[in-house]
This record gives sequence, C-alpha cells and structure tokens, in this order.
Amino acid sequence: MFDWLANPNRFKKITNKLEPSLLVISLLFIIFGLYFSLFDSPKDYQQGDAVRIMYVHVPSAWLASFLYLSLAISSIFYLVWKHPLADLISSSIAPIGALFSILTLITGSLWGKPMWGTWWVWDARLTSMLILFFFYLGFILLHNAFERKVDGSKSASVLAIIGIINLPIIKFSVDWWHTLHQPSSILKFDGPSIDNQMLLPLTLMIIGFGLFSLYLIIVNVKTKLIEKKCEALILKLNLKELS
Amino acid sequence: MNSVYTSWSSIFIAHVKRDILTNSRSLIDLISIVGFMILIIILFPLGLGPIQEKLNIVSNAVIWVGLILAIMPSLEKLLQKDFENGWLDQIATSPIPLEVVMLSKGISYWLIILIPLIITSPIFAILLDMDLKNIPWLVISISSGSLAISLIGLSGSALILGARRGNILLPILIIPLMTPILIFGVGVNEAIKINASPYGNLFLLLALTLVYLVISPFISALLVRIAIGR
Repeated sequence: MFDWLANPNRFKKITNKLEPSLLVISLLFIIFGLYFSLFDSPKDYQQGDAVRIMYVHVPSAWLASFLYLSLAISSIFYLVWKHPLADLISSSIAPIGALFSILTLITGSLWGKPMWGTWWVWDARLTSMLILFFFYLGFILLHNAFERKVDGSKSASVLAIIGIINLPIIKFSVDWWHTLHQPSSILKFDGPSIDNQMLLPLTLMIIGFGLFSLYLIIVNVKTKLIEKKCEALILKLNLKELS
Repeated sequence: MNSVYTSWSSIFIAHVKRDILTNSRSLIDLISIVGFMILIIILFPLGLGPIQEKLNIVSNAVIWVGLILAIMPSLEKLLQKDFENGWLDQIATSPIPLEVVMLSKGISYWLIILIPLIITSPIFAILLDMDLKNIPWLVISISSGSLAISLIGLSGSALILGARRGNILLPILIIPLMTPILIFGVGVNEAIKINASPYGNLFLLLALTLVYLVISPFISALLVRIAIGR
C-alpha cells in the first residue's frame, strides 16, 4: 500500500483532489469550533473566561506530539526503505510541529499567568514540551546543515527517531510527577471527565486543527516536489549546455 | 586476516590505547577544557555576588552545568579529525566491528577529558562553598553520570560529521538529550542536603548510563556509516 502511495505522481493526483475540500472542511471545523468555544460554551466556575484558552492550547499540544510521532514514523520509512517522498513528508511536518509546540507553550503561559500566578514554572509537562520544541528545531537545523541534501535528511531522520523517547515522557509527565500541570481529563480509562458542553468545541477544534495541519503538510510536500523538479530541470539544461 | 581480527576486547583495548596516546601528545586540549570549566565556575560567584549561602545553594547545579558546557567545544572534534583524514573510512571497510571502535572512542573520551574534570571537581565544590559531606556524593554522581554524557556526546559528534557550522549545531542537538542526566545527577546531592537517601536518584542515573552504554555505540556506528557514505 505504501509503495502504491509513495509514487510522487499518484500522490499529486490524489492530493490535488483532496486539497481544496480539506481546506474548506478544516476551516468549517475551526470556525464552528471557535464559535462554540468563544460564545456558546459555559464559563468555568473557577477559571471564568480564561478556560477558553484551553480550546486552542489542548489541540495544539496534541498535534505537536502527534506530528512528532508521524515525523518519527516517516523518518523510519525514509531510513529503512529510502523513499524520497518520506523525507519530503518529514521535512514538511517539522516546521508545522515546531509552530504547534511553540503555540502550546505561549497559550499555556498566557493561561498560567492569571491561573497559576506565573508565566512559566519548571513543571515536568512544560519542560518536556520545551524539549520537544528543541527536537523539532534540531531536526530542521540538521536537515539544512549539509552541502548535499541527502546527507542532512539521513542524519536528521536518526535524530527524529532518537527523539521518540520524549513522547511518553510528555504524555505521562503529569502522572509521574505531581507538579503544577493538571492531569489529562479526556484520554482516560474511565471515559472523559470533562463536561459535554466543553467537550464538543474541544473535539471540533482538535479535528479542525488536525485537518488544517494535514492540508498544510500536503501543500508543503507539493511545493517541495515542484522544487525538486525545478532542480532536475536546471541540471538537465546545464548538461545540455555543456554537451 | 585472522591474525588481525583477534577478539573484540583486544580491539577495544588497542583503540583506547591509541586514543590516549594521540591525545597525550598534546595536552593543550585538556588544559583548555579544565581552564574553561574553572572560568565557568568563577563566573557564578562574580554574577551572584560573593554571598556564601547563595553559592552553597547553587554549587551542585553549577558544577553539573559547567561540566556539560565545558566539554561542548571538544565534543565537536571527537570524531572530526579521524573522519577528515580517512581513518574512519578505513575502519568501516575493515572487518573490525565499528560498534566496538565507537565504544572505545566513548570510553577513551571519558578517560581523557572527563576523569580530569572529575578529579578537579572537589576543588570547584570548595570554591563554591559546598558542604563537605556533599563532596564525596558529588564525585560519585559525576563519575557515574559523566560516562553517559560522553556517550551522548559521541553520538552527537557522529551526527554532525561533515555538517556546515557543526560546532554551533552540536549543543542544540545534544543538550536536550543530556537533561535527564543533569536532573538525576543533581538530584543525588539535593537528596543528601535534605538528609534523604540518595540511592534512588543514583540508581536511576546508573541505569541511564547503562542504557546509553548499550545503545550509543550502535547509533554512533550507524551515523558514521551514513557520514562515510557521503
């Protein structure tokens, strides 16, 4: 199945059809999610309106971790099967994941100032999220650090795979160390402990953010495919001039 | 072929000997690293003000952070020279297992660079007004954690082989990986300060060191093979 999808032309054909509808659907989800989260959801009895920051904070935190997982998986595909498309995908995921992780940290500290009384605490969850951002940053920097692009792709893929170790630390940090960040209230064995009125906008936002980042990744990959084609064309022209 | 390819332990010992010999010819590197470490330690009393209580609180963490920062410039050159003059190519194409050579590189780096820092660490501790009962534990925690630090550094220096501006890139890539070592290493002495048992943190630190001892040679060998393929 992966061989079938990994053909760049087929990838382009499928994504050309998928792309516009993906954009429209994700924007619809985000617009409805924003409406519900900003206007049509109850205030928290302790946090007041500040709870609405959560509707951006939680989806971006989830996506930052989920995108890192997909980055690592596509890096494994690149290292094992050496398919160039896998590298294009992982290098397109990295900047988006980095943005989501920084968005998580910013919204978290905006919420933390009124709630915890401080912009930043050295809590296990916050620190591991910051380290996730540095893994993304390291991936991007290492990817661009070599004369030949292939070299950077390979080294950066190894780094991405090493970084997987950080993901369980992020997930379980709130259970292992009882510090300031509250434990998960959605992904629990005995069902979510969050009210349905709040769960609805949160779900809409998570789906919307997810689809939108998928759209961004597809646009990124397509741009990189075109870039590669341009490079190949330039090489061909140069060769013709030489001969 | 069999006369060369004897056993892994003899290969290991031969490479450790080679690294110690080549490095002992010029002690400039070592002197500059210890000097750098001393300067990092000096900066803290100057920045915090010479108040003994303040220094006592931060002394433990400052020595650990100083250790991690001080070895950064030398890590970048750990494999660079052997890579540039083709020695690593030779080893990789020979029947000698590259993983064993990488392990010997990590261990010899620890022996050459980190042992002097461990030996001098009690002096830094006294400079920073650490309590005397903490100093033996500082030495124990640093000597068990620093092996992991040098093994992570080995993988990091294999990661940047042939990269542009590798010296700037290296700290960004490997300091995130060193954070667990720092946390548990500092935790040993923090436990002593509050009269708790240090063994929990120390055993976790040793466990991490053993994990890196197993995986680091393989990762480094993989990365060196990738670098040679360039």
